[in-house]
Amino acid sequence: MKNTRDSTLLLKVSNLSKDFGKIRVLRDISFTFSAGASVAITGPSGSGKSTLLHIIGTLENPSGGRVEINNTDPFTLSEPELARYRNAVLGFVFQEPHLLPQYSVLENVLVPTLAFKGGQGRGSALTKVQSDTTQRAHELLKRVGLTHRSAHRPAELSGGERQRVAIARALINQPDILLCDEPTGNLDAATTKTVANLLFELHRAERNILIVVTHNLMLAARFEQHLQLADGTCIVK
Amino acid sequence: MRRFSWNSLRHFWQIHLTVALCTAVATGVLAGALIVGDSVRGSLRTLTLERLGTIQHALIADHFFQRELLKRQGMVPAILLNGSVVAQQTETRASKVNIYGVDNAFFQFWPGDAAPNLNKAPSQPFAAIVINEALQSELNVQIGDTVVVNMPQAADIHPEFLLGERDAAKAIQSLRLVVGDIILSKNAGRFSLRAHQSLPLNAFIGLPVLQKALGQVGKVNALFSADPKPISPDNLQLTLGALGLNIQEHEDYFDLQSQQYLITSVLSDTALTIANENQIPVFPTLTYLANTIKANDKTVPYSTIVGLPIDKPEFPLVSGFQIPPTDEIILNTWAAANLDAKVGDRVEIGYYSVGAGEAYTIEKAQFQLKGIIPIEGIAADRDIIPEFPGIHDTADMSKWDSPFPIDYTIIREQDEAYWDEHGATPKAFIPLETGKRLWQNRFGDLTTIRMEAAPGTDIQATRMLFETEFLKKIQPEQVGFQFLSLRADGLQASTGATDFSLLFSSLSIFIILAVAWLVEMFFRIGVEQRSREIGILQAVGYPLGKIRRRFLYEGGIIAGIGTLLGCLLALGYAQLMIFGLQTWWLPAIGTPFIEFHASLWNLLIGILVVFIVVMISIHGAVVRVGRVPTASLLAGETDFDQHSKPKPENDHNLTERATNANVSRGWATQISGFVGGLIVGTMVGLAFFENGWIGLIAFIVMGVLISSAIRRARRKADDILANLTPQNINLIHVFSAIGFVVGVVIAYFPFGAWIHDTVLTWIEHPIFEFLVSTFSILGVGWLAFNKWLNSQQVPKRLSRTRFVLKNAAWQPGRSKTCVITVSLACCIIVAVGGNRHDAPPETAYAFVAESALPLHHSLNTPDGRFELGFSELASQLLSASEVIPFRVLPGEDVSCLNLYQPQKPQILGVSDAVLDRSVWRKLIPTQSHTDRVIAIGDEKSLRWILHHDADDEFIIQDEFGKPLHLHLHTLENSLFQSQLIISEENFMKYFPSQSGYQYFLITTPPELMEETEQTLEKTLGDYGFDVTLASARLAGYRAVENTYISTFQSLGGLGVLLGTFGLALVLFRNIIERRGELATLRAFGFRRHLLSRMLFLENCFLLTVGMLIGIVAGLAAILASQGHLRTFPWVSLTIPLLSIFIFGIIANAVAVVLALRSPLLSTLKSE
Repeated sequence: MKNTRDSTLLLKVSNLSKDFGKIRVLRDISFTFSAGASVAITGPSGSGKSTLLHIIGTLENPSGGRVEINNTDPFTLSEPELARYRNAVLGFVFQEPHLLPQYSVLENVLVPTLAFKGGQGRGSALTKVQSDTTQRAHELLKRVGLTHRSAHRPAELSGGERQRVAIARALINQPDILLCDEPTGNLDAATTKTVANLLFELHRAERNILIVVTHNLMLAARFEQHLQLADGTCIVK
Repeated sequence: MRRFSWNSLRHFWQIHLTVALCTAVATGVLAGALIVGDSVRGSLRTLTLERLGTIQHALIADHFFQRELLKRQGMVPAILLNGSVVAQQTETRASKVNIYGVDNAFFQFWPGDAAPNLNKAPSQPFAAIVINEALQSELNVQIGDTVVVNMPQAADIHPEFLLGERDAAKAIQSLRLVVGDIILSKNAGRFSLRAHQSLPLNAFIGLPVLQKALGQVGKVNALFSADPKPISPDNLQLTLGALGLNIQEHEDYFDLQSQQYLITSVLSDTALTIANENQIPVFPTLTYLANTIKANDKTVPYSTIVGLPIDKPEFPLVSGFQIPPTDEIILNTWAAANLDAKVGDRVEIGYYSVGAGEAYTIEKAQFQLKGIIPIEGIAADRDIIPEFPGIHDTADMSKWDSPFPIDYTIIREQDEAYWDEHGATPKAFIPLETGKRLWQNRFGDLTTIRMEAAPGTDIQATRMLFETEFLKKIQPEQVGFQFLSLRADGLQASTGATDFSLLFSSLSIFIILAVAWLVEMFFRIGVEQRSREIGILQAVGYPLGKIRRRFLYEGGIIAGIGTLLGCLLALGYAQLMIFGLQTWWLPAIGTPFIEFHASLWNLLIGILVVFIVVMISIHGAVVRVGRVPTASLLAGETDFDQHSKPKPENDHNLTERATNANVSRGWATQISGFVGGLIVGTMVGLAFFENGWIGLIAFIVMGVLISSAIRRARRKADDILANLTPQNINLIHVFSAIGFVVGVVIAYFPFGAWIHDTVLTWIEHPIFEFLVSTFSILGVGWLAFNKWLNSQQVPKRLSRTRFVLKNAAWQPGRSKTCVITVSLACCIIVAVGGNRHDAPPETAYAFVAESALPLHHSLNTPDGRFELGFSELASQLLSASEVIPFRVLPGEDVSCLNLYQPQKPQILGVSDAVLDRSVWRKLIPTQSHTDRVIAIGDEKSLRWILHHDADDEFIIQDEFGKPLHLHLHTLENSLFQSQLIISEENFMKYFPSQSGYQYFLITTPPELMEETEQTLEKTLGDYGFDVTLASARLAGYRAVENTYISTFQSLGGLGVLLGTFGLALVLFRNIIERRGELATLRAFGFRRHLLSRMLFLENCFLLTVGMLIGIVAGLAAILASQGHLRTFPWVSLTIPLLSIFIFGIIANAVAVVLALRSPLLSTLKSE
């Protein structure tokens, strides 16, 4: 898999805040990460980890502050532009794999390529990979060790296998930033280790920014940077 | 449990309210449909009671009789006739008018109503007539207007006999009357002997006025009674006079003769039997009028000839002369002298015969002169000859006023002299048997039965004995009397030919099915919503059965509330349907007569049926509870269908369970195998022996389809099969094979006949064939869809279209249910709608005509038309047309136009002249049908109104009160939906007193149609001749059929729309359950718009697949039953199908919009 990642890739978060009604969940969060960074976000329950991840992932709007990815504020984009942007730049792995049960493993991996006509959604300016997406899906499945399961349905997979499919799906469009929300939250220790190894391996290969929300401190320790949330503020370690 | 349940009911009130409302709708529809049936029956019953008032019983006769014959108090006399009425001022005419001669007592049968004025007003020149509103509307007349009533003239002698009167001027009695009163078309204004919901045209004339006009003073042809006690035949004291007989008593003998000239066979046979039983010397004779007696080129005109028995030496013709035993003739001396005839000469007799079409034809018979006798003894006895009306009492032959044509030019002076001296004294004598062979007809075979004193008695005593015994032996029913229980028969008929309860229940079946499906789905959703609750209950040790019972208990409460609510809806729904029948679907009932009637019993049935159906649906939802593992339930698993297939077990468990079950189930499965093989073998054998290889191939094709279904069922029963070891399975195969062989053997032997009569007859039924072909195609469609849903092939390239379509496999159970429901509904809508006839009906005939009074002359011959009063020009016009005449036995309409259950169908006798035409050829009597009469009826009328099929036997009563077995044959889409048709020969045999033709099919060149119609109606106006376009008549029948189909399509469409609404709810539910996945897709850049489109297309895909499978299956069913799609109503079917599709799309769109309105992405958060 050829790495074509732009070395100037930069994620910049400035004075970010988020309110839910009268409750301020995040306040004055600022940090900057560049390509190849791996970041763990930790903190107690309700500290706003997932909220921060979702804001970075443009799934939620911030109440204040600014998010810039490659000098672009995604929240200034229109809904169609934002969708296209998200499809091309961001990849997600959630605590629940949320695989589509009616499709095979291979089809699940290919799902993000269908968001826009013609396969990848980056458009002419953002297109980095022109090769056949199916070929890439097969390669990703090979990387996550599920080639033999490509024709199976999600119901026929174990929890770890499902999460590996979710990782492959998240990487199908070669996102600049891979956002993972408790990716091992539902897995046992052995499987957690396998999935984590896979994440790091793929991260190294893809040279993207990897941001993972986790409660697992052992897992967090393996990341280059550590962003700890408490009382709405964060400490970058 | 109760407290828990009540709390649950309250907590999940929204879903429970929805289920209750669905149940209420189902109850409303079903109970409402049953109430529609109640209303139709109740209204028919009301009409019957209104039509008959307090009349309970009636004595009706086909002739006039003295009312005193019936020894019973409280009888109300009447004359009942059919005829036509012409309004003088407006020149409008009404045919098929019921003309009633009644007095004021008749109107007392309707106690609340005042009797109308039947008396002649002093200021009016003519007697009064009272008409009902319907007739007034038809004639457009007012009180004081003059009308002419045309009715059949009463005559002793049948018009079709040689001496009967057929001339219109004499056969029709016209009476000028003044409208004295107009009564409402209800109560007496609705009175009719025939059960029909349409308004009759009634005219009432004072009884004495009518009696006088008909020459029947003191006589009536009907007596009515309000006494609930039936009229017994014993109450009728018959007299010889009432039977049209008279006795001429002489010193040594007496003669029994008939006013009808010929003594009917029933009476003559009875008289001869009585004579024989009482040793009364009897001498039957048959006298006929010969046009000519020829011998030696000389002719004697118009002579009576008597047929005498040859074995009666006690009745010598003349001293020493006996009747010759062969076809020999004896002349009197006058005739012999006039013919210069001597013994041994050839003598030819020419005489009239009434042939086909009631034309006079001259027949001839050859005799050898056996002897010449003087005019003395019997040979001089004028009394042995009954009176010839119009002949006997004239002074000269030239003044004869006979109904048959007389050539006065051949009457000579010596003939007049003979007439002056001897009158009608016979000039020739032949053997009685020869006379019968020549002259007997359906009206009788004797003219005089002479009897002498029985041994040891005098003539008076013999006469008394004969009269007493004779009248004792005659049954009133044999001589045209009918004892009717009008009220009981009417009420029986009011149960209806069509069960509207069943009809509307069937028509509403889609609504009920759709609602049942919705109930099942909603309840299942309700159960699935509570998966965690179920999981917790299981986790804390609740047995599965108890959890299920709890849900069933809740379901029972909801269903109970729903059905009770449904009672109110039922009343509304029934009112709506009744309104529909009175307006939109009026052609189905003809007259807007239906009033609301409801029976508690039917309401309870509706409630009970829906309750059971709903509980079955709920049970279907509840049984899924146990399929999901407790852990999954606790994790919030809601897709119970996903767990519907049992998990495969490991080999160890399988083997262990198999071992345990082998002993108990071994024999059961082997016996099942044997029985299965037996059935299949029998069927294969019968298919082969009955239909040869084609039958066998058809059977194999069906077998493949059935086995496919069985295989699917087998897969679902994995746990049962798991109990069988290979040894078991082999044994089953062996037993199946044995059963198969036994079955084939059974099929080959006589037992096959029994199978044929029961099973195969049923299998060959068109409805069964229709269902098999339809469900085969539906089944293939469903299997293909199911296979596609379950296919797991990895595509080479995942397209967005495939992605959308594959979404349908997200919940295969729900998708299958949607497709099956939609396809089933569309299939039935197409298959039923395919029978609709949008195109104008095609028929080979231009007109159907009916006349109130019978025609006795042919419309196909110039002579006949002349006799009927057509001008030369009109006759020339009619010569371009062909008229097929039918005899008519009055009776009830057996078409779908009549809602009552016909008990005495109208019978037509098709003219023998057209029997060689293909359509009528079936009616030609064959040797194999000596005991049964072949009858043709319209296939739809037979099936739906008379509830009989082709080859069935239908029993009616002949004119003599004997059962007449009709062997039914069918015509399809014919003009004869109102009648049954038999051959004219059989008609005259079993209904001899019916005369003339009253029903006509007419073919006319298109360019002459209008002129021909006007000419016929104008010229035959006095006969009440009504001409209708044949296509319009057919369209009238089709309108009823089309209306039923429209009703079905409207209600079916409503059901499908409800089903479509259910589809939208399924989609809504799916979206809610798939929020996580949809949010993930959003996270990966799928726009909300794209998601909406995908979800929308997904359901449109299900809708389209379902509709396509259904439409194809429906078309195939039509193709299978009709063999073509030429008359398929594409337009009228496209509209409902398109409406369903459009509604489905709109409902889907709304569901998608609503479901995606709430934010999706929040579901992705892990905290």
